[in-house]
Amino acid sequence: MDFPIFHIDFIGNRLLIAVDAILHVLINHAFAVGALPVVALLEFLGMRSQDPRWDNLAYRLLKIIFILTTTVGALTGVGIWFSAALVNPAAIGSLIRVFFWGWFVEWLVFVCEVSLIMAYFLSWQTANRSPETKLKHLRLGIFLAVFSWITMAIIVAILGFMMDPGNWLTERTLLSGLFNPMYFPQLALRTTLAMVMGGITMICLSYWHTRDDRGFRATVTEVLSKWSGIWMLGLIVASVWYYRVIPELMLANIPVAFATQEYAGWNGRLKVLLIVGLMYVSRILWVSVKRPGQVHGAKYLVSALLLFAMLGQFERVREFIRKPFIIGNYMYANGIRVEDYPLLQRDGILQHATYASIREVTADNQPAAGREVFEQACTRCHTVNGVNSIRGQLKNMYGDKPWQSEAIAAYIENMHGARYFMPPFPGNKAELNALSVYLASLQKRAAPFNGAQINGIPKPDHISTAISYGILPNLGIHHGEQR
Amino acid sequence: MTAPIPRDIPLPLPAPEGFLEILLIASFLLHIIFVHLMVGGSLFSLACQIKGLKAPDYEKLAYRIMQTVTVNKSLAVVMGVAPLLIINTLYAPQFYASSALIGDMWMAIIPMVTLAFLLAYLHKFWWHHFINLPELHIGIAALETGLFLFIPLIFMTNVNLMLFPEYWPEVKGFLSAMLLPNVLQRYLHFLSASVLFTALFFVGWTGRKRFQEEAGFNELKIITVRRFFYAYAFGAAIFQILTGLMALASLPTQGMGWNFILILTFGGALALPALWWMWRNLTQPSHLLDDDFKRIIACFACAAIFMGIARHEYRENALADHKTAISEKTANYQAAVKEAGEQARQTAKKPEGIVSAPGESAFNKNCAACHHATLPTVGPALQEIKTLYADNPSGIVVWTKAPGKKRADSMTMPGFPQLSDEELTAISQYILKH
Ligand code: HEC
Ligand code: HEC
Repeated sequence: MDFPIFHIDFIGNRLLIAVDAILHVLINHAFAVGALPVVALLEFLGMRSQDPRWDNLAYRLLKIIFILTTTVGALTGVGIWFSAALVNPAAIGSLIRVFFWGWFVEWLVFVCEVSLIMAYFLSWQTANRSPETKLKHLRLGIFLAVFSWITMAIIVAILGFMMDPGNWLTERTLLSGLFNPMYFPQLALRTTLAMVMGGITMICLSYWHTRDDRGFRATVTEVLSKWSGIWMLGLIVASVWYYRVIPELMLANIPVAFATQEYAGWNGRLKVLLIVGLMYVSRILWVSVKRPGQVHGAKYLVSALLLFAMLGQFERVREFIRKPFIIGNYMYANGIRVEDYPLLQRDGILQHATYASIREVTADNQPAAGREVFEQACTRCHTVNGVNSIRGQLKNMYGDKPWQSEAIAAYIENMHGARYFMPPFPGNKAELNALSVYLASLQKRAAPFNGAQINGIPKPDHISTAISYGILPNLGIHHGEQR
Repeated sequence: MTAPIPRDIPLPLPAPEGFLEILLIASFLLHIIFVHLMVGGSLFSLACQIKGLKAPDYEKLAYRIMQTVTVNKSLAVVMGVAPLLIINTLYAPQFYASSALIGDMWMAIIPMVTLAFLLAYLHKFWWHHFINLPELHIGIAALETGLFLFIPLIFMTNVNLMLFPEYWPEVKGFLSAMLLPNVLQRYLHFLSASVLFTALFFVGWTGRKRFQEEAGFNELKIITVRRFFYAYAFGAAIFQILTGLMALASLPTQGMGWNFILILTFGGALALPALWWMWRNLTQPSHLLDDDFKRIIACFACAAIFMGIARHEYRENALADHKTAISEKTANYQAAVKEAGEQARQTAKKPEGIVSAPGESAFNKNCAACHHATLPTVGPALQEIKTLYADNPSGIVVWTKAPGKKRADSMTMPGFPQLSDEELTAISQYILKH
């Protein structure tokens, strides 16, 4: 509302963030948090057995980790910031105000992590000079593994907050946001999942790297299967814990029965995936400890993919539960605060949208005004023609019958009730009608819908340059300094 | 020209503003140093590699240079996170606006940097695989360098655009924002700084005792290499002053102020003694390259710090009025929100006398979105349902618990097993009475 609206109609805004974030989480869990301890473990085994093959393998794995995490891994991390700032600046801006110090500490840890991984990787060859330098080098590896876990632990706190701000709504402090009740079960689930993922991904890579040395391959797979197996036990415990705590906490956040049902659906799917995945992966690990070297490499790959899918589904449930909010009970996914609703529903959203070009709905500007309302209220989740397109949704509802604006208006007015994951309509009655006229017109024709990155912003008018509101006095003159 | 005045995020800043500003300047300087070394290193590596086609020792030098680039580029990224975070905090209304206005190019930074980094690794880690394919290898280096050169231009465009809200309404996409006054001048100033700092860095780096053995040159003398970098540093420093004057001359007046000019002059003046020492070392046989080296570095480092402060002063000057207006607007808006909230609570309390029909609110909450009184909308109109179930309210209850699929041209209705029988009966009676 207060920001020019960036919009890519083709892939949609949510997908833009999702692609970046999923890539980031996969690399972070499978190739950093879960994989770095494995590298240190292999290095340790090499030092103990004095067999250079361990050391060699550890180095080769680390090279892949290094290349992936310092390019795609690091930049998708920064990319979450970039995309979130474009798609929902109000949300990310608010989160930053609250979590600034959390993120600042995260940054310090991140600097350490990157410096450590460079030191660890680049000094590998020279560290082999003497046992003392090698021991120091191993310590570096352990530090690195710890730091990459801490990075994750901080982020989980921030993610947990977005779902359930706990006491933050009343207390508004960093700590009350950080230690909300979902934190520990989530962290446990993520940590163990990451460790198993890392272990199995590293099995897959070692499988490839040891293709000319079957005997060594069997030994490596056995060791790594044991390692992953131990974390697997942890993962089972963590999943049980998660399921005993989280659904209730989350359901407590959903007032509408309809959504409860839908949530149960999502959660059920995660549960099935978790159970099937855990059983399959456990079996593979078990067999490969029992009969090392005899499990086909493809099965490890399937295990890794299953774990990736589990993580993906976990993130989707997490995302789902947040809707219709982007910050639980404080701000809706459209970037409008719960608190703002009465004002916007009374005066109209266009009256308060700094960068809107139409302020008042009149008899002859309805489609154009409706387009503006759509831009403000719906484009954070819907496109016109692309992913989750409004055209597709309406077609699904009304098919080829003529789309009637009255019918659409009746739907939108109650859409929050019927479809809890959508926020209530934020504008007034005239805007609702204008939006419906615009949406109905989409049955026949849809002009390309571009965001501010192409269309720019309108010339500032009396509202976007104003400082005070209607009949209210200008408070800023007296209180401007003490924001 | 007038500027749009948006509202700020209505939450308090996480720390005193001045403190955040100091943090911003410091972390930005740290970031930009590594960016310089990354961009300049990549340029030098490419140049040396091309030179290496004729003089093979330069190819070896290019390889050594590349080893610094892959480290510096990672540091450039991590160091960049802190200033990004602080800019997000201190300048939310401006920074988010300017980012959105060049949104597609801004977002493209992520894949472009990723690609550049991957190319840099390909270039370095597989160096010896390209022995027989020097053209391909140089092509990769050129692509990587090209990306490293272009990406800062996007950043420059954005940080410039955020300073001038008056220009926002005129901007249509990245290109028009890039062509605003001052961007290209500042960009040139940045480039010459990259060459200057990197060349100085390499003068020091090739002066280490170990370098001789690391590089393994056949003929090339270390001193020649060092003079090569030194000469570039000197040339870049001259260029730096010229581009700096150009950038100053083209700077919009919005942010001018005596504080800014004073700091700027001071910083610029620090470069002069350094230039003199460098000139002497290059031209007079009685002087060595390492003479006064620490002093030269100190001068340029201080100059960079002053420039960093001046840059921030300019930003604060340029945005001062905008920031005040924004904070007033935000306070007023919050008051309006409060007032409307009160009013809504008042009206919500009022209609005590009117008792709503039983089932009405449950109907509105669960069913109204799809069932209109008279129009067939998503589902059939209430009129139609009324005729279908005229004296059969329990039929509605049964259907609603587990709806079937009747009408070919409409979607399937979701089931409502979670509603109790009483609720459903109330709803069905409400429908039939409607
Ligand atoms: C929080 C993000 C969000 C916002 C904001 C949002 N929607 Fe939706 N909307 C969704 C999702 C998710 C779906 C379901 C997509 C699916 O089932 O494939 C949906 C579905 C719909 C449907 C189909 C409904 C149905 O019952 O199948 C319509 C119509 C619709 N939205 C209109 C709107 C309009 C109009 C706005 C703006 C006033 C809006 N939405 C705002 C997320 C959102
Ligand atoms: C998401 C949209 C939606 C919601 C919400 C909804 N319905 Fe429906 N309803 C439909 C559709 C679509 C049909 C037509 C189904 C068909 O013919 O296959 C329908 C049909 C019906 C019918 C007619 C069945 C018949 O025999 O033809 C009744 C009665 C009905 N709904 C009651 C309800 C009640 C009561 C609620 C609220 C508890 C409700 N509906 C909520 C979409 C909805």
